[in-house]
Amino acid sequence: MASRDVVSYDTPLSRALKVLAGLFLALYLVWTLLPFFVMFVSSFKDLLEAFKLPAVGDWAGITVFFEFTPTFKHYTSLFTENSFGTYILNSLIAAGGSAVISVIFGSLAAYSLSRVDFRGKQDLFFWIISTRMAPVVAVMVPLYAIFRSLDLVGTLPGLILAYTTFNLPFAIWILKGFFDNVPFAIEEAQMVDGSTRFQAFRSILPLVAPGIGAFVVLCILFAWNDFLFAAIIGSGGAKTLPVATRELVQPQNIQWGSIMAAGVVTTAPMMLLGLVIRKYLVTGLTMGAVKE
Amino acid sequence: MATVTIKNVWKYYGETPAVKDLNITCPDGSFVSILGPSGCGKSSTMRMLAGLEHISAGDILFDDQRINDLAPKDRDVAMVFENYALYPHKTVYENIANPLRLRKASEDTIKARVTGAAKLLEISHLLERRPHELSGGQKQRVAIGRAIVREPKLFLFDEPIAHLDAKLRAHMRGEIKHLQRTLGTTMIYVTHDQLEALSMADYIAVMHDGELQQWGTPAEIFNHPVNAWVAGFVGEPAMNFLTCDIKGQGDDVLLRHSNFEIPLLPGQVRQLNGAAQAGTARMGVRPDALSISMTRPDEAAMQGEIFVNELLGGDMLVEVQLDDCRIRVKTTPEFEGKPGENCFLSVNRDKWHVFDAGDGHAYF
Repeated sequence: MASRDVVSYDTPLSRALKVLAGLFLALYLVWTLLPFFVMFVSSFKDLLEAFKLPAVGDWAGITVFFEFTPTFKHYTSLFTENSFGTYILNSLIAAGGSAVISVIFGSLAAYSLSRVDFRGKQDLFFWIISTRMAPVVAVMVPLYAIFRSLDLVGTLPGLILAYTTFNLPFAIWILKGFFDNVPFAIEEAQMVDGSTRFQAFRSILPLVAPGIGAFVVLCILFAWNDFLFAAIIGSGGAKTLPVATRELVQPQNIQWGSIMAAGVVTTAPMMLLGLVIRKYLVTGLTMGAVKE
Repeated sequence: MATVTIKNVWKYYGETPAVKDLNITCPDGSFVSILGPSGCGKSSTMRMLAGLEHISAGDILFDDQRINDLAPKDRDVAMVFENYALYPHKTVYENIANPLRLRKASEDTIKARVTGAAKLLEISHLLERRPHELSGGQKQRVAIGRAIVREPKLFLFDEPIAHLDAKLRAHMRGEIKHLQRTLGTTMIYVTHDQLEALSMADYIAVMHDGELQQWGTPAEIFNHPVNAWVAGFVGEPAMNFLTCDIKGQGDDVLLRHSNFEIPLLPGQVRQLNGAAQAGTARMGVRPDALSISMTRPDEAAMQGEIFVNELLGGDMLVEVQLDDCRIRVKTTPEFEGKPGENCFLSVNRDKWHVFDAGDGHAYF
């Protein structure tokens, strides 16, 4: 196998570009991380301290930002005065439930589309993905009407169903690519060895595991961060973290401290998830693209 | 152990027939090779035997049981695939054990059978590895191990050694043949390599364009091909063909070419049976049925010019320009002719063939 090194030689131009790239990356880091940093620090500040900001141009005054007595009161109030425990559970159930359902039906559908030839297959496949082409808001009103007539508004099953509607086409689309890359001969060997078609399907699931893993993460992220569905379909009985956070903004009283704390509570689990499965996520998202 | 009977079998892909009215009977315990170029229908035939493709028309029987409508798992066949098709996430041990696990064999049986198969195939030291840690030859042994561990009725081998390097291929030919003899299980072996078929099989079915061309032992296929296509496909270096006129002269019948006139042997005249008297025909002669010399051995010899010499280790292959065509002659490395020199060829008439100029069927 040939070396995979990308050979490059220094020129004055490339050195200048390197410096520029470094500068750009530094700015980009500040731009993306600063909001999280402000959120995290502010969640431990009292209301007054949170608004102690230096004047514009006063770079020395930046220390003011760090002058505060850390307090956990916003976090405790989230779980005592508000029922954030329930909301976290709701978010978990809605995200996890739709991910599990989407993976089960998605892998079955993707396997069929990958393996079986039938008339109108291309059209069906296009139709499945075309359901993702309309923006969510466009279908929100009819979807709400349907859900209300089925008594699904404000319930967790309703929210799971809504997320699944949007995740399933995505699952089929991603997983079909992974199944396409598994040689037919492996299943055929299984079937000759003595398994049924379904057992053969199950036997190749480990080979598409990176794809399934990547999809589950994307699916959970979509549901966990979603606001629109949660606000309209889930409102009332199935309140999730983003909606609950939004409700901390009240006409007379914007609870900045609690909002920041809620932001941390909402963000932290997904960041941790991302760190844990980062390696698999990257293999999953690139493996489908490159045929071995 | 089973006798496999393929009766009037057709396979269509859409409107295209891939296998046309195939009839083969593989005797119990025999090693049968299905030989043909790619696209001849040999793999379709194998997949119909395994149950991976539906049979469009006709019947396949294992002994007296019609298996057309049985799922692969109920046919009790074991198959080795061209690309081995090992399960990449399982160890060698688990790969070989898989068919037994699917049949819910006891753990003791599995262990005994897997270690037995591994010992037979000399892969005992590899059992804990995964397929990606194996070389091509080792993968192929694992695939064979997975097939033999179950002691099935029938083995199906689909070009199993096509991807190995030449030396290993030669070695594996002997191994597989020995294995089949040891186990005594009926084996159907698909290949496009005529050397594999000739060297390993008890019987060869030569296929071309979805049709069975000839069924016979390797010696029959090689020495008595039924038509010009089989004659040209089997044998390496390939048979030479020359278009000749057939001419009666007194009691003799001559094959006449612009370069030579050679009489047929008396028995061959009878086999010609007047059918192609005074017409054109194709004369076929293998490179080893010709002899080359620098001096004219007799009046009937062909005269040509050496085009190129190829030394093949123990043999020398000489390509000779004969008027407007070239023919190849096998000789010894001691042959001293140089390209451009005149030479003479004489033919061993016991080993030549005459084919019909139209449909190519063999007169002898």
